[in-house]
Amino acid sequence: MASSRLPVIPLALLVLVLLGPALLADLIAPHDPYQSHLRNRLQPPVFAGGGWEFILGTDRLGRCILSRILHGARYAVAISAVGIVLGAALGSALGLLAGYARGWTDAVVMRLVDISFALPSVLLALALAVVFGPSFSAVLAVIVFVLWASFARQVRGEVLSLRERDFVARARVAGASHLRILSRHILPNVANTITVMATLQLGVIILLEATLSFLGIGVPRPTPTWGLLVADGRQFVVSAWWISFFPGLAILLSVLSINLLGDWLRDRLDPRLQQV
Amino acid sequence: MTRISTSTERNPSFRWLRAGGLAAALALGIAAPPAEARDVTIVLDPPSAETNRFWETSGDNNLGPAMQTLLGNDPVTGEIDTSTVAHTWEVNEDFTSWTFHLRPEAEFHGDWGPVTTADIVHSYQLHTSNDSILTGLTLLRGAELEVLDDHTLTFHLPEPRPNFLFAHAGRGIMLIYSKAQYEAEGIEGYDAAPAGTGHFRLTERRIGEGVTFEAVEDHWSGETSAVSTLDIRYVAEPATKLAMLLAGEADIVALPRELQSEATEADYAILSSTNAAMQTAFMFGNIYEEGVEGYNPELPWMDIRLREAMNRAIDRDVLMEVLYDGRAEKLVRFMMDPRGEGYAPELAERFDEDYGYDPERARELLGEAGYPEAFADPVIPIISTTLGGNPEFPVLAELLQVFFDEVGLQTEIREMDWGTLGGMSRARTAFVLRPMRNAPIRPSVQGLSIFYSSAGNPINFVETAQMEELATAMNASIDPEERGEIARDAFTYLYELYADIPVASVGYEVAVDPDTIVGWTYPGATAIGLSHWHLIEPVAE
Amino acid sequence: MTRFALLRLVQSLVSLFAITVIVFGLSHATGSPIDTMLPDDATTEQIAALSRNLGLDEPLWRQYLVFLGNALQGDFGMSLKWRGQSAMGVVLDRLPATLRLGGLALLISIAVAIPAGVVSAVRRGTWADHLVRGFALFGQSIPAFWLGIVLIWIFAVGLGWLPTSGHGGLAHMILPAISIAAFQIAALTRLTRSAMLEVLDTEYVKLARIKGASETAVVWRHAFANAAIVPLTYFGVLAGSVLTGSIVVETVFGWPGAGWLAIEAIRARDFPVIQAVVMFFALAFLLANVLVDLLYAWVDPRVRHG
Repeated sequence: MASSRLPVIPLALLVLVLLGPALLADLIAPHDPYQSHLRNRLQPPVFAGGGWEFILGTDRLGRCILSRILHGARYAVAISAVGIVLGAALGSALGLLAGYARGWTDAVVMRLVDISFALPSVLLALALAVVFGPSFSAVLAVIVFVLWASFARQVRGEVLSLRERDFVARARVAGASHLRILSRHILPNVANTITVMATLQLGVIILLEATLSFLGIGVPRPTPTWGLLVADGRQFVVSAWWISFFPGLAILLSVLSINLLGDWLRDRLDPRLQQV
Repeated sequence: MTRISTSTERNPSFRWLRAGGLAAALALGIAAPPAEARDVTIVLDPPSAETNRFWETSGDNNLGPAMQTLLGNDPVTGEIDTSTVAHTWEVNEDFTSWTFHLRPEAEFHGDWGPVTTADIVHSYQLHTSNDSILTGLTLLRGAELEVLDDHTLTFHLPEPRPNFLFAHAGRGIMLIYSKAQYEAEGIEGYDAAPAGTGHFRLTERRIGEGVTFEAVEDHWSGETSAVSTLDIRYVAEPATKLAMLLAGEADIVALPRELQSEATEADYAILSSTNAAMQTAFMFGNIYEEGVEGYNPELPWMDIRLREAMNRAIDRDVLMEVLYDGRAEKLVRFMMDPRGEGYAPELAERFDEDYGYDPERARELLGEAGYPEAFADPVIPIISTTLGGNPEFPVLAELLQVFFDEVGLQTEIREMDWGTLGGMSRARTAFVLRPMRNAPIRPSVQGLSIFYSSAGNPINFVETAQMEELATAMNASIDPEERGEIARDAFTYLYELYADIPVASVGYEVAVDPDTIVGWTYPGATAIGLSHWHLIEPVAE
Repeated sequence: MTRFALLRLVQSLVSLFAITVIVFGLSHATGSPIDTMLPDDATTEQIAALSRNLGLDEPLWRQYLVFLGNALQGDFGMSLKWRGQSAMGVVLDRLPATLRLGGLALLISIAVAIPAGVVSAVRRGTWADHLVRGFALFGQSIPAFWLGIVLIWIFAVGLGWLPTSGHGGLAHMILPAISIAAFQIAALTRLTRSAMLEVLDTEYVKLARIKGASETAVVWRHAFANAAIVPLTYFGVLAGSVLTGSIVVETVFGWPGAGWLAIEAIRARDFPVIQAVVMFFALAFLLANVLVDLLYAWVDPRVRHG
């Protein structure tokens, strides 16, 4: 039933807005993203009366918006890639363990999941930022904290039912070790779920980074993360709308195309997954 | 009186939208009702503490319209005057006995009667109690109060305090509460609505939203405010504040300078305090001498050549433009003000020569100091922080980084909230460059001893033998002329020491809607910058 | 069933206990309230006096035991920032505002997402499906604070239809509620759509069609009534995320609710209020999930024996 046609438009958008710039930022950015041109502060974009030197205009310190967005893609990719790998790995590992071992292990892991869901992540992020000071790693820590529990819960659920299936029982009778059963028989069967979830969560990470920046607890300035760019320009909605509009657009397009890809992947790999 | 010309058409960028929207709004019937002409809505930054117990705050006074201090400030010059409950005061020769004479006509709101010395004694006890955490409390504490009659009393101080009046006006850390109300209703009465003697009476405090005041008809002073209801609302988000002004929901908005041009472009007006209300500076952490707790010879800025280089790396004209929209004065020396003791005009004359923008000289100085090779850790940590009333601090940090990078200094911005920063400074381990403000502008001697001598322990930025000597002499002296001389020496010493990075001297500004507000004169002499609420002049209906 | 309910309750209590330790530990790790309460020029004596007054000079474990003992009785101590009020009082005072806003957001989500999800499933693959899914995804792809600001500029400043911010009647709630709901709509639409697709594919629905039931009846009475359980189980998560979502949106709109309170309390190191508000959020979340689990178990008996 699922359409097998590759979603070309989202894919192209993703390459254009996120992956391309992340790889090539150094080559294609017209300016140093940190370089202030104090004489060219708040220049409008070229199509709104600005010059070609700063195509998408400049911010209040005269930094090139386009260059900052292009370099920002790099942080977006880095944060979401590292965040998702760590979050998914931790969550899935604990989910596998809990679902397979059951008993006390399961009880402990599931309580941790409960706790993690019950503590509002934004408040936790605020507290962490106050304790350790805002930093790249603090942002990552919050992202992992937000992600791991949903992976753990989903994977555990699937493992619980998989371990009762015939092929697992056969492997056990044949004398396979627990590790072998987990890695050879169970993991491959939850791999699709993990992949689809991971894709869908990428967008969540990018938005979370923006929210943290809004609260002043994201990656510290002047690092041009997209969230910081939007948060920093949000006050100039009337006179210098371009400061926050273009980074906002970059977030919108990236997350939108990631979500479309995620939907497509789900239809293909794991249509029963009801994760949101 | 600061007056504004009235505008006709405004906010052109949204005119087309509104035209279409109006019809639809009428149809839906959900448009907000227009505010009544004499009701004024003011939007301010949320205060650090929302409570009617002023003594349990650090001095962030949000009861201003209703509660008065013993003395007041002149609306134009900001000088301490007798416009509030006391009509005269005297002091003895050595500044240890201060006598105040209360106005017999001064009375509390409601039926709480006239102000008597009993109310002053009661208020003094509240503000100096164990629960009190007010700024500058040492100026107030330790006095013995002698009641001479119902309207006369004397504060006997344990040592000379030439700046004692600053506790009663300006900083103003002793509000006059009603003893009768306290005896009748207890602390709960204050929590609900304390009776004051101001031109307005507090009617409601809504946590997280604001405070509402109502003008007192036939105020004892003979002046009655033209504004009938003063609705003060607390909003933190700058974009929302601007929107409230442009949408016509607010009449007066404390808008960050960066956004003021957005308001003026739409024909809103900017009002400023008649005097500078605040000084800003960037401080070098721990300029201490060996043996002082927190002394750290590894800090790159312990080398005076680096401090000079940093000061010279900064183009202060650009700084004024970016941070304060061009409406600020370059500060020559933190804590030094032309109106205060020990003002040294020659420092202002020499300023360009010694502190002026000169990246070449800055690079030379760095070279002479052997930067960066000769330094264990050459990276300069610059603190970016937010503080209510100083939205420019994060931008300031970024700008300093830009200027420092330019001359070859290695920098790193660290984001930190004001509380954490305070904790670090209190532990004397704030090995960073951090922003600081002086608001309201303190009396010179007080500012000098708190920020630059061990008297300010734990948060003092300089501690050297020479400065200690000056501070001790300054505080011991009761001869005004001599104090001035010593203060001047201290300013000169700190100036030559490049003890910090002076930034600006700025007025307190608000954006106002000229369709509803004609003007407002306030001197910028109080802790929150605003005062004289009864002088808000609304457009007559 | 009773045994299952008891088990879930005990589990939640265990989690809640662990949360008290975390909340207490974290709030104390954020530093001392003295840092934010006292002015910059406070003297060493003032610092010592305040520390004693607040009981911060006691050993940490004793502070925790006092906290736990009082918390069990619903007493979190006096607020440090909102002087003169108890922490629980401050939270209870602000909570209705959040519940109203969250409730409206939830209502908007349901009102938009359920029909959208159903239509999208029934008209699978058509332009209507694509439109609905695209629209839903849009709301999930934009930072809530930015959406809020853009909404203020269009509907309050530009069109003048609604107030920009603040607390008041229904008009004040519309923009913030939409900002919160935007994210939920996408999630709920997807869930409804996939649940509907699954049910529409069952023999049961096919049978109803063959029997000649009208299309409306097939979709709503036969299919949706069975698919509704899936979005229903999601409400636990939804309620939690509405609370979390309110934290940012309340700041933008100056809406003085519990989310705003939590942020202010953390910034001010107001330990009693931080502890009260986080414990309240946690409790609400755990209870909502126990209820959902019980509901689920009641509908689907396999769960309680699983």
